[in-house]
Amino acid sequence: MPAELVSLLWLAVTLAGYYALKPVYRRHPRWWTSPLLLVPLLLVVLGVIFGLNYPDYIRDTHWLVLMLGPATVAFALPIWRHRRLIRENWLPLLVGVVGGSAVAMLSCWGLASLAGLDEDVRRSLLPRSITTPLAMLVSGEVGGEPDLTALFVVITGVAGIALGELTLRFLPLRSALARGALFGVGAHGAGTAKAYSVGNEEGTVSSLAMVLAGLLNVLLAPLLARLLH
Amino acid sequence: MKTIHFHHTTHGPSLSAMRTLHARMRLLAHRRPQAALVLQVLLLTLFWYACDAAARRLHLPLPGSVLALGLLLVLLAARVVPATSLRRGADWLLAEMLLFFIPAVMAVWQHLDLVRAEGPRILAVILVGTLIVMVSTAVMVDLVWRWQRLRREGRTHAR
Repeated sequence: MPAELVSLLWLAVTLAGYYALKPVYRRHPRWWTSPLLLVPLLLVVLGVIFGLNYPDYIRDTHWLVLMLGPATVAFALPIWRHRRLIRENWLPLLVGVVGGSAVAMLSCWGLASLAGLDEDVRRSLLPRSITTPLAMLVSGEVGGEPDLTALFVVITGVAGIALGELTLRFLPLRSALARGALFGVGAHGAGTAKAYSVGNEEGTVSSLAMVLAGLLNVLLAPLLARLLH
Repeated sequence: MKTIHFHHTTHGPSLSAMRTLHARMRLLAHRRPQAALVLQVLLLTLFWYACDAAARRLHLPLPGSVLALGLLLVLLAARVVPATSLRRGADWLLAEMLLFFIPAVMAVWQHLDLVRAEGPRILAVILVGTLIVMVSTAVMVDLVWRWQRLRREGRTHAR
């Protein structure tokens, strides 16, 4: 089969798998029913059977990844819609984003060093808590591999859906602000999708925290690169 | 019928061309919601593309998507773009975001050696790290929020 046809087929399988498995997640929203886990699993199984060649796979599906750009722009609308919430709670939000980002970087570096991971894996892990397009940017800046970072970001997203659920169950949080911020700072877009299923206010706070944490990381990346040098 | 009437009232002759475009978008959203959705996604994509190209050309330190997000917020605040005329498209993009992540996960196929060698350790770092980030973020936000509320209550009691 010609390579063009193969990549088109993989795109079709990705789309079909996603739309077939999405209702499952809607009915039982758990971390192990997330399309972010089930669809890649399905693709890996098919890949093992029929032989998957990554360049062939990504040739047509990279259009989907590109759509993360417009999706990032789309965050402007929920932020605008909830401007009052932001104006009234800018202090706790700021503390959560700045503090959370600092904890993310420090804990990541500490844990990765403790686990004895390679230098470039450690550097690629650093921006894993922020949204993919920004994380890949930061990764390049601090000397990581953007490709690996994208993967770590997504794993963080799936893990974050599960861990966020767990945290909410065991941590007595009074405010929707805290419930939203933990998803946005800890698990970027995937967490935000989960936060919206907890509540509208949680989802909004999460999307805002995600965007702010991402921006903070991008702005601080040159400084971080110099520190790690 | 009610909506048609609404359009006639906002559709005065003194309105700028931009406003007329938004009125048309609202009419389209009312008559053919699917077409409006596609058009709005297309508009957001074009806007992102233009900002991305500009950020590259001008060597801005910001990525194009962030520039576009900021600019769109400015346009919304200045009331140049009413939020209603992009709502459908934006909601769709955000709802389908998980789909856009899937091909990025498949990059794992290229790093199978690394996964075999360091996979479990990497996974442990991500899991423990994410838990630490989530708990500390939530606790910090909740503490500041409670402190702020106590202070506000104190102030109203003092009066």
